[in-house]
Amino acid sequence: MYAYNDFDRQFVRQRAAQFRDQLDRHFAGELPEDDFRALRLQNGWYVQRHAPMLRVAVPYGELDSRQLHELAAIAREFDRGYGHFTTRQNLQYNWIPLTQAADVMDRLAAVDMHGIQTSGNCIRNITSDALAGVAADEQVDPRPYGEVMRQWSTLHPEFAFLPRKFKIAVSGADEDRAAIGWHDVGLQLLKNPAGEVGFRVQVGGGMGRTPIIGSVIRDFLPWNQILCYLEAIVRVYNRYGRRDNLYKARIKILVKAEGQKYFDAVEAEFNRILQEDVGAGTQLIPQAEFDRIAASFVRPAGVQARAEPATPADAPLAYTRWLQRNVHAHQVPGYRAVTLSLKRAGLPPGDATADQMDGAATLAADFSHGELRVTHDQNLLLPWVQASDMPALFEAARAGGFATPNIGLLTDMINCPGGDFCALANARSIPVAAAITERFADLDEIHDIGDIDLHISGCINSCGHHHSGHIGILGVDKDGSEWYQVSLGGSDGSTLSGDSVAGKVIGPSFAAEEVPDVIEAVIDTYRAERRAGERFIHTVRRIGLPAFKAAADAQRHLTAAH
Amino acid sequence: MKFISTHQDLWHTVGGEDGPQPHPPARERSLLSLEQWHAVRDTWPAGLATGVIVPNSVDIETLATDLPRLALVVLQFPKWVDGRAYSQARLLRVRWRFGGEIRATGDVLVDMVPLLARTGFDTAQLRPDQKLEAAERALSYFAGHYQGDVLQPLPAFARDLPAELAQAKASADLFAGQGI
Repeated sequence: MYAYNDFDRQFVRQRAAQFRDQLDRHFAGELPEDDFRALRLQNGWYVQRHAPMLRVAVPYGELDSRQLHELAAIAREFDRGYGHFTTRQNLQYNWIPLTQAADVMDRLAAVDMHGIQTSGNCIRNITSDALAGVAADEQVDPRPYGEVMRQWSTLHPEFAFLPRKFKIAVSGADEDRAAIGWHDVGLQLLKNPAGEVGFRVQVGGGMGRTPIIGSVIRDFLPWNQILCYLEAIVRVYNRYGRRDNLYKARIKILVKAEGQKYFDAVEAEFNRILQEDVGAGTQLIPQAEFDRIAASFVRPAGVQARAEPATPADAPLAYTRWLQRNVHAHQVPGYRAVTLSLKRAGLPPGDATADQMDGAATLAADFSHGELRVTHDQNLLLPWVQASDMPALFEAARAGGFATPNIGLLTDMINCPGGDFCALANARSIPVAAAITERFADLDEIHDIGDIDLHISGCINSCGHHHSGHIGILGVDKDGSEWYQVSLGGSDGSTLSGDSVAGKVIGPSFAAEEVPDVIEAVIDTYRAERRAGERFIHTVRRIGLPAFKAAADAQRHLTAAH
Repeated sequence: MKFISTHQDLWHTVGGEDGPQPHPPARERSLLSLEQWHAVRDTWPAGLATGVIVPNSVDIETLATDLPRLALVVLQFPKWVDGRAYSQARLLRVRWRFGGEIRATGDVLVDMVPLLARTGFDTAQLRPDQKLEAAERALSYFAGHYQGDVLQPLPAFARDLPAELAQAKASADLFAGQGI
């Protein structure tokens, strides 16, 4: 993974010192909350229902054992002993008092971490494929490009106060595991027929109350021009994006309203940057610089092709299920990537206690050259595990509570913190997730149901990605109580799910108590209707919504009058 | 970065009893609205030091041909979190090679000063409640940045970072113990 140099290290320390000054002025009454808000947001401090939330950046999802141990220590010493991994591969704390914020930033800086631009109307932490650098289907490793863009976007002076937040995702594999179509800018690395590397650039995707899939603005942008191209995209947005209405301020609204005109403006701006601007040429990434960064992403020492061990025919079902669901193909023969499931009964999806963070960090040290990834669907992943270590890792992961064999299945749901923590939420999402997890506790059953994306958001801001779920659940507020809208047929853009698309709502919202029954009815309908080998999403596409809607409506006990 | 206080400012807007004068008389160091400037630019003598106030919604390119006659461009932050003027300033410098003064006005906070400096502003009129020493301090935190900017056109990857770090350390040592 990327190795900080002295410049990087000094930079995060300087940022921590700057934030300490801002905090001091805030507590001294010199910096009122209205002014302080945007400053703390850009350092990751977001005030929630009970306390500030701190969002720590995990650039393109890469962590090492040392960092995760420190995150555990921070959870223990400053928080209430746990944290929450997010769909954007970050980690959130929920209970750290703002008075300790500067100390926490110093602690993070000491392990090359920070909260820079994890919130606020700026270019956010860049996300990527959790299998970057190890995926068997990878064309181009996206991490060095992610790092180049991380550096470019970090404290960019022109783009610190955009109309709204700005999210970039980059993928370099055949399979899209980063939901790039749903991002403000989605970048797909590919090679042209000449073997040259470039980006297919999508712009204007986003969730929220107006779900839109990004449009392709460039089919092939030579890789070394990406910073100039991003500058053009963001500058035109900074100039023309709406600032009069928070809900219409994302770039997706500008792209939708202007269409080709926006594309033309970006291309014109891009050409002028290259042809006219002082210093523009220096932003073209030199091969030597790319090589310097890419050198950080070489395979760990000792990782080399190894013989493929055979799985014994009499292996227990628990183990083979784990192999089937939590273990992934690798680009190095004899290696596997292994998901540590953070989806299990008793804890909210994506949450990890301090002890579990330490446990995962130790597993990484023991089995994965000290490296981990945070996945887009809120799990942890060990990228460098020898296939011959599978039996030992299975036992160790099981002992640590990470071996629920449910990756990609119903209980591997994406879930936002919801109304239990978030001040924006209209409804709680954690109890809904817990009720569904409890209802579908039978492993035989969820394995029989098969691949399915269940995404739950506590409000229309869509942090739980309900739009892209095969089943989406959205918390809404009606007359001060919690209700849930259910949608079907959404896609995050994966091969299984098809082209990115928002799901369709199947009727008026349901009462909280009805939700598990509704999900069960929807699943039962699938099991009754499916053809041999047909996945849930394909049955939904084939037979349409009416059968599912009728089954769901039959569960309305409390909402019958609606 | 120079901080301008309103009472010591050498520039003066040209207002009358009923608001801005549509055709102000030619005078050194007049600070005009865009409308005023458009009304007088054909008649005012070249070489007269003139400033214009540009709203942050204006495409800065529309000012390009006027720039040789302008000594000051005042850009605006109606709210401090409205970042459009950063782009205007940067374009004035890197695309239109404007060498005159670029001034930030409006809701200007000390915490914006590093961004202002890096996008090409050389003067700022801070919001009245802002403290000068905090603004000076805000400029001192970072020895260098990743991306190129108006002050340092080279991105970090094109610079000699070890030499830069050594220099930053040397200058910190020079001031060590002096209470700075």
